[in-house]
Amino acid sequence: MRPRLAALLAALLLATGCATGTPPATGTPPAGQFSATDIAWLQLSVAMAERLLPILDLVPDRTTDPAWRRLATRIETSERIHLTRARRLLADFGAPVANPHEGHDMPGMLTDEELTALRSATGRTFHRLAAGHLRAHLTQSVRIASAEQQGGSDPAATGLAATVVRAGTADLARLDHLDRAPTLPPVPAARQ
Amino acid sequence: MESAAPHPASRSLLRLGTAIGALLVLLGSYVVASTAPADAAPGVNAIRVAEFPADCTYSHRLPDDPIVFPGLPGASHMHSFFGSTVTNAHTTLPDLVGSATTCNPRVDVSSYWVPTLYRDDVPVEPSIATFYYLGEGVRPDVVAQTQPFPLGLRLVAGNARAAGPGDSIARWSCLHAGHVPPSKDFVNCPAGTMLESYLDFPQCWNGRDLDSPDHKSHLTYPVNQACPASHPVHVPKLRQVLRYPVNGDPSRLRLASGPGYTMHGDFFNAWPVEELARRVRDCIRPVIKCGHDGRPL
Repeated sequence: MRPRLAALLAALLLATGCATGTPPATGTPPAGQFSATDIAWLQLSVAMAERLLPILDLVPDRTTDPAWRRLATRIETSERIHLTRARRLLADFGAPVANPHEGHDMPGMLTDEELTALRSATGRTFHRLAAGHLRAHLTQSVRIASAEQQGGSDPAATGLAATVVRAGTADLARLDHLDRAPTLPPVPAARQ
Repeated sequence: MESAAPHPASRSLLRLGTAIGALLVLLGSYVVASTAPADAAPGVNAIRVAEFPADCTYSHRLPDDPIVFPGLPGASHMHSFFGSTVTNAHTTLPDLVGSATTCNPRVDVSSYWVPTLYRDDVPVEPSIATFYYLGEGVRPDVVAQTQPFPLGLRLVAGNARAAGPGDSIARWSCLHAGHVPPSKDFVNCPAGTMLESYLDFPQCWNGRDLDSPDHKSHLTYPVNQACPASHPVHVPKLRQVLRYPVNGDPSRLRLASGPGYTMHGDFFNAWPVEELARRVRDCIRPVIKCGHDGRPL
């Protein structure tokens, strides 16, 4: 079992005094291939994907537009693949999945109020709101994945980041095509 | 409209506020000292207080967090930074050492940050931000063995994910309006007063780690006025006190992290080792109230 191997490695590193003062500490091996940036990015990516999926789930019920349905399915498929890979990497690193800031008025993440508003919207209003939220999510997701590509350490994590940047950039272009008069993201700058 | 910068005319008022705040701290420690069973000479020591402060005005705002999201600019909700003027998502200890700072004393180049407060979606920054280093909340013999924070310590206090007041250690009150009861969420402060936030960091360190996966569990709060065996090293209690130039209807207020009870604070220690050790030795262990220069007042 990979998580068990990671835990064993962590225990070994601690026991042999290899732990240094660099970012992760208690119970996780700071030495080696992954860094605090890798962990933070993976945790945040998991939180963001988990927040996005309920929006995508709404699409088939709320719209009959085949182009919208195709895009939602495409994004959902790639998000689920990225989510699985991110969770597996966190388990391999022996890191907790939860991040201390998840779910709280984070850039690119829907608030509970916004999700409620979206659930009661239909037609054009739904398209407009959903496009805004998807754009905010994809933009933020590409931004932090680019930072991980540059600043991360573990090749599997930076590789995943590269995939996220590619897929996110392509999906943003598709979204712009679909939502021809791009509306501003529903989250103004001051809300970050 | 109230501005984020302190108005010159309100300076004396602010000073009075600081004095009152200090008096309250004194009174608070009087209560602690007079209820502490092991106090050697209560008559003499009753209002002695182990303290040195750093007053660090607002420096800058960024959606960055070098502790929780290191290396990921823009990954965080908006933070307001105090102390070192260079802090961003990529900041590590060498960046802080020798950096410019907004703190009095200038020797404190640590970085402190909190979620930005908004009123009607407009950021409001504290006009007074004081970081007290205290020796209290534990037995006098524990205070006497206080160790300085290790250089490079990273620590988060409070709960950014609090789902309600029950999950929170935040405390909101009104400066100059003691009759308004403190709350874990925003309070409605009368006109002419300021909203204030208190947050106490944990003061028992595990003696080993500069950080931990949740950025909290390498330190813990005291149990029965002592540090538990898992976290045996007593360090100063860092108390963050922020005074915001706002009052009135709390429904207009929010933090970048959500409601008032999600208040939290991040601390990245970059005090020069000898300077921090001296203050712990001269102010905290002997229970002496020191000024910004770390000398007895």
